[in-house]
Amino acid sequence: MYFFLIGVCLILAGGFASIFAREERKGLLFLLFFSTGSFLALVISLDSLFFSTFYCFSFNLPFPAGQVKLLFDPLSAFFISMIAVMGFLGVFYGNSYLKSYLNKDYGITSHYIFLGVFFSALILLPVIRNAFFFLIAWEFMSLSSFFLVLFDRKKKEVISAAINYLVTMHISVIFLILGFSILSFFSGSYDFSSFHNIFNNNRFLADAVFVILFIGFGFKAGLVPLHFWLPKAHPAAPSHISGLMSGLMIKIGIYGILRMLLIMGNLHIEIAYFVLAIGIITMLYGILNASVQNDIKKLLAYSSIENIGIITCGIGVGLLGIVYNNTLVAFLGFFGGLLHILNHSIFKELLFFGTGSVYTKAHTLNIDELGSLTKRMPTTSILFFTGVLAISGMPLLNGFISEFLIYMALLSGFKIHDLNIVIVFMISLASMALTGTMALMCFTKLFGIAFQGMPRSEKVKEVTTDVGMWMLLPKIALAAFIIIIGLLPNVMLLVFEPLIKSFVRAENFSQASFFTFNLLNIVSLVSIIFLSLIIIILAIRSFLLKNKKISLYKTWDCGYQAGNQKMQYTSYSFVGPFVEMFSNLFTKKENLNSPKTLFPSKGHFRVNIDDLLEVYFTEPIINGIKKILAKFIWIQNGSTQIYILYGFIFLILAIIGLFIYS
Amino acid sequence: MLNVILNIVFIILLPLAFIGVINKTKAFWSGRKGASIIQPYYDVLRLLKKELVISRTASFLFQIYPSITLAAVFMAALLIPFVMHSSVITIEGGFIFFAYIMAFGKFLSVVGAMDVGSSFEGMGASREASFSTLVEVAFFIIMGSIAAITSDNTFGAITLILEKAGTIGYLIKILSIITFLILILIEGCRIPVDDPNTHLELTMIHEVMILDNSGIDLAMLTYASALKMLIFTSLIANMIIPESSPLLLFLLLYFLIVFAVAFGIGTIESAIARLRMSRVFDFICFTSSLGIIMLALIVVSMFS
Repeated sequence: MYFFLIGVCLILAGGFASIFAREERKGLLFLLFFSTGSFLALVISLDSLFFSTFYCFSFNLPFPAGQVKLLFDPLSAFFISMIAVMGFLGVFYGNSYLKSYLNKDYGITSHYIFLGVFFSALILLPVIRNAFFFLIAWEFMSLSSFFLVLFDRKKKEVISAAINYLVTMHISVIFLILGFSILSFFSGSYDFSSFHNIFNNNRFLADAVFVILFIGFGFKAGLVPLHFWLPKAHPAAPSHISGLMSGLMIKIGIYGILRMLLIMGNLHIEIAYFVLAIGIITMLYGILNASVQNDIKKLLAYSSIENIGIITCGIGVGLLGIVYNNTLVAFLGFFGGLLHILNHSIFKELLFFGTGSVYTKAHTLNIDELGSLTKRMPTTSILFFTGVLAISGMPLLNGFISEFLIYMALLSGFKIHDLNIVIVFMISLASMALTGTMALMCFTKLFGIAFQGMPRSEKVKEVTTDVGMWMLLPKIALAAFIIIIGLLPNVMLLVFEPLIKSFVRAENFSQASFFTFNLLNIVSLVSIIFLSLIIIILAIRSFLLKNKKISLYKTWDCGYQAGNQKMQYTSYSFVGPFVEMFSNLFTKKENLNSPKTLFPSKGHFRVNIDDLLEVYFTEPIINGIKKILAKFIWIQNGSTQIYILYGFIFLILAIIGLFIYS
Repeated sequence: MLNVILNIVFIILLPLAFIGVINKTKAFWSGRKGASIIQPYYDVLRLLKKELVISRTASFLFQIYPSITLAAVFMAALLIPFVMHSSVITIEGGFIFFAYIMAFGKFLSVVGAMDVGSSFEGMGASREASFSTLVEVAFFIIMGSIAAITSDNTFGAITLILEKAGTIGYLIKILSIITFLILILIEGCRIPVDDPNTHLELTMIHEVMILDNSGIDLAMLTYASALKMLIFTSLIANMIIPESSPLLLFLLLYFLIVFAVAFGIGTIESAIARLRMSRVFDFICFTSSLGIIMLALIVVSMFS
């Protein structure tokens, strides 16, 4: 345990150590500290995961926190090992990504300090078992990530996105504080283990507190309708930060929900249905909006929302399995959901790093200004393509495995002879299928428009070389993870078994595990057959073409001789038929200014598609709150004396409160 | 073992004959003599001998995608029962694997079409991707319902419907067969969704996506598209033919059904015109509504 704490301190120290280094060396120095620290944390958590060593450490904090317990269990070990490995790749990539920002007054030092704070809070969160200390670490994570988002602070939209993020995270914290204070009020302690009884005594209270905490964690995870900060914060942050936030930080929201479920122990049926419903809504809404985005990072942000939905859906199915006493459904659901947490963090980091590489070269992330990158940046494109295939859930790659497990959970659930389950699982099955096909549409658009065809703007024409080796290495590692998990999913079962066991406690657990192991063996076998089939057909093709001429010619343009890059399909025209099909679900504003004279003149077409929930749900609420708060504006009158008086009154009230409390 | 060999032989040889029958039917209805049923084999052989012409805009993906698409459809076919209700590979959750492998092929053909930077191919790719969103849902609901009612997650479940669902099973079979027939038209890009013979790029879907492919690549894509139709036809055949029928009777009925479906497609193509692009969506939605009726039937038969 001490090694783990030393690791956390090393990560924290790494950020501050970078003060003393030259601008070019800061990243390397931080990387050195970070890799040592995360390696220590990884070793400890893997030890805990595989050999069930329950590391424990506790210390006393002054009133009101009380005794703080740090404890390793499979769930925290899983999250910590994921943060250590994925975080290392992110920091490694960030070091090379920031090269173009050096010596330009970007505040590299403060970036690394906050990166250190961010990671030490992130890696510490899964072991904390004290609500008070948990909230402090949570707050450190949120605040430091706010500064990380604020990296490119000269841009106005970055500042507004960062402030939006900050405010959202504090609304989230209000819910967490509320939920935890209700629990600690009834239990008289901040220790997580003392909450267990509260959850079991009063059914109504338990449900209410769970929903409050679910909302609080849901903000962080980006569950619909609490998702609106994600598509704003991701485009604003530098690419490695977007990757880390999407790959790791939003998963901490899921961690919180999972932790609450573990504390609750026995479940209420409403909660299981609630979690599943939110999961389904989130994934459908996320991918629906992802497919109409023009900015790569915004698209990826919405796709993160979709994937969080899939994870939640898997967990929801697992919970229903527990409630209905079907171990196989519970096992498959939890396995799918938990594996998808890992899978998503792998391919989402890969995609964000790929986006970062594109940005360093082409200086734009607008899909309609890119194009032709497969020819200009071949290695980055192949790696990005791997990520795109994986995130669409294509076989041979890891995304398919987790989705397949959730599908299998749903199919096994039909054997529970219950009307509700059959209907709900059938709806989930159809929603998963719809999400899958919309993801296909969304990511073929992303890759087809942004990476293929002719260059769509002058910016791309200047790109001649791929990014350097140091930026490619982390992506190669991530792509390797994707393929390994995709082809050998049976190995992953060994990693996840202790983790699933902590959620699914049943006598026939080993039977379910055995069934899944056999299933994954066959999946792996079929995937390998499929892979060899591809290789055989490619070999036959090149054999048949051996002595034949391959000539280059221009693209068929229907006899029209003056085709240029402007005539290619654009991002919006690609999803046009789709938007027409689901026109009720989008708020579309078209603005067409067509040439009206006889001779050619300029015209323009512009289309805006906004987030439906943001327009009809979030904004009215925010406007309402603004109206109410406007009535209190006299409090903030700018006079220093009054502010000192406020402080004084607060102090007196705090002291009085303390007296009454003790 | 015999079944496995027959399955593979059927997968390799039948698809092009299926196209041949469709073309012969169309010739019959328009009063022509028409090309022989084995003409598509000659066409494909001719393509295999040809050289390649590739667009200057295209990248490496353009050259490998037809092979991967073919591999995907071929792999999907191995999961489907062709002869005697048995497939080459039988796995739990087979239809999910099947749908995702087909989607893999579709993904690559859409991305491959986008590679040449042509507005026409973008058009086809966009339509293919948009329409497939709803088609898959229908397929999942149908196969999911069958899995629910038979408690069997493999494709073998389609033979168990009558046994598990009783008389209502007939209704379920009829509805699934109608859905699969529509899926053949959509996946095979036939009238009324798409017209393979049209030469107006603006109205095409599948054919416009392969405008720039030539030689062996075009041969592979043609074969893959024919195999897709045969896959769904085989599903229909295996659903209709009683489980107890001996091999010879099975083969007789199988060829009869495959011929009937091909004849039907040819007749539809001769009789009606393509739907307007915006109406295609309604047509596809029809399959999903059939799926929902299926779901209602399942609930009735499971809980009555």
